[in-house]
Amino acid sequence: MTEREYLIAPWIRVWHWTNAALILTLGITGMSLHFANPNLPLVEFSLAVRIHNVAGVTLVMAYLFFVIANIVSGNWWQFVPKPPGILKRLIAQGNWYAYGVFRGDPPPHEPTPEEHFNVLQAVTYWSVMYLLMPVIILSGLVYLYPEFAPDKLFGFDGLLPVALLHYLSATAILLFMLSHIYLGTTGKTVGQMFKMMFTGWHEQ
Amino acid sequence: MCGFLKRVFVVVAGSLLIAGATCPAQAQDKPAAPLTAAQIEKISQANNECLACHSEAGISHPPKEGLDIKALRGLLTDPEAYKESDHRQLACTRCHNEGYDEHPHAPDARDSTTTCSDCHAKKAVLIEKQFDKSVHAKNLSDKFTCTTCHDPHVMRLAANMTDAHKIVAQDNHVCLSCHDSDEKFAKFAPEKKSRPPIDEIHDWLPNTRLHWKSVRCVECHTPGVGDKEPISHEILNKDKAEKKCLTCHSANSSLKTRLYRHLVTEEQQRLGFANSVILANSYVLGVTQHPLLDTLILIAFAAMFLGLLAHGLGRVIARLIQRRKNDD
Repeated sequence: MTEREYLIAPWIRVWHWTNAALILTLGITGMSLHFANPNLPLVEFSLAVRIHNVAGVTLVMAYLFFVIANIVSGNWWQFVPKPPGILKRLIAQGNWYAYGVFRGDPPPHEPTPEEHFNVLQAVTYWSVMYLLMPVIILSGLVYLYPEFAPDKLFGFDGLLPVALLHYLSATAILLFMLSHIYLGTTGKTVGQMFKMMFTGWHEQ
Repeated sequence: MCGFLKRVFVVVAGSLLIAGATCPAQAQDKPAAPLTAAQIEKISQANNECLACHSEAGISHPPKEGLDIKALRGLLTDPEAYKESDHRQLACTRCHNEGYDEHPHAPDARDSTTTCSDCHAKKAVLIEKQFDKSVHAKNLSDKFTCTTCHDPHVMRLAANMTDAHKIVAQDNHVCLSCHDSDEKFAKFAPEKKSRPPIDEIHDWLPNTRLHWKSVRCVECHTPGVGDKEPISHEILNKDKAEKKCLTCHSANSSLKTRLYRHLVTEEQQRLGFANSVILANSYVLGVTQHPLLDTLILIAFAAMFLGLLAHGLGRVIARLIQRRKNDD
């Protein structure tokens, strides 16, 4: 019989899937806008603008909820890689993805209530949530209220650096999303970790 | 429309190149030859005599007694704006000629004011044809003249300006001065026709007011034109106006043949940005693209996707080999 352990609180699961849906919506509409081309319409331009604006503002609220709930619940501690041997465990996790997973080796880290994430997850998730997300949210807000952008910069419209930051951070987040979805299949079974993010129960 | 030119192209106020009887500078639609400093000074002094009364300063400090200040208030010119305008090389008396030498001016002096078509004959023929199809010609042809929209004391051709924001501000002021003012709209509109609220009828357009600061009304409210053709004077109503965002918001933007048509002759690829001339004025979604950066990012996505696919396939194959080993 499999061992079950309750790991993921309801608020985290609700936030996680809300965030996922928003990132997906923003990614698709964002690509429609950035690569706007009459021969390649993903989402009609003005519709994409409206959806992107609404989803963007919702993402700001979801992010604020995430930050506050993390502080209040103490869940922020999960994102901090804990010594000793951080580097050693990072390498071990990398090696498992590179070789171990093919050999059928057990993963170097099993989630526990005290430590949900392996060290690679902790470093990546912390960087995405506390470095990339503020950049994309702040640049998105300036985009929404362009009167706060500098007027001119290096002979170009002052909105350019804001737009570039938004574009590059969106790229990084979407690349992360691809790898995140894929690595979600590396649990005991392909669907086990996805199931955990719905039910909150981790099956060992 | 036969009497159109006479009726329509009456210029309320204009100018005169120093002492010529014809239009020496702008005649036959040719660009003005540069004047000497002495000629400019002479024009300036002659104009100052008119502006002594026909300016805000003239009203606040009338140079002589007995002026009808109330009437004068409707006949003012901003000297600074005039000095920047395309007609700045012309003396007032170039257009306001007969009957204006003395004060009080002759009662019929206005009737002999030079018309736009007297100097801009070739343009007027083309513009008249376009105007006839315009929404303004339908009901308002008897009220509309060139100067209803184009004040010859301030207007500048877009071709003579390098700052797109200034072109937009000048040209949109023309449209919005009526379409965003109940008082002025009522002066021209047919009876019972109330002014449609300008924000409401454009509420389908995201960031409406921001658009009006960055592009002209005529980018959408005129038919498409070729690369070398000027913007048409056929103003389109809402049913015919451009509504497809991608007409402007794409790499091959129509802005290149409209607002920026005089500027895009310069470089187009500064620091690798496509349409960098437009970017110098405005970051425009879909127009501002960096082909090299976009390619690198698409490669990164393709590499990530293929990498993950290969990893996944590797896991499937490893699992199959493992299973076969276990079966053996």
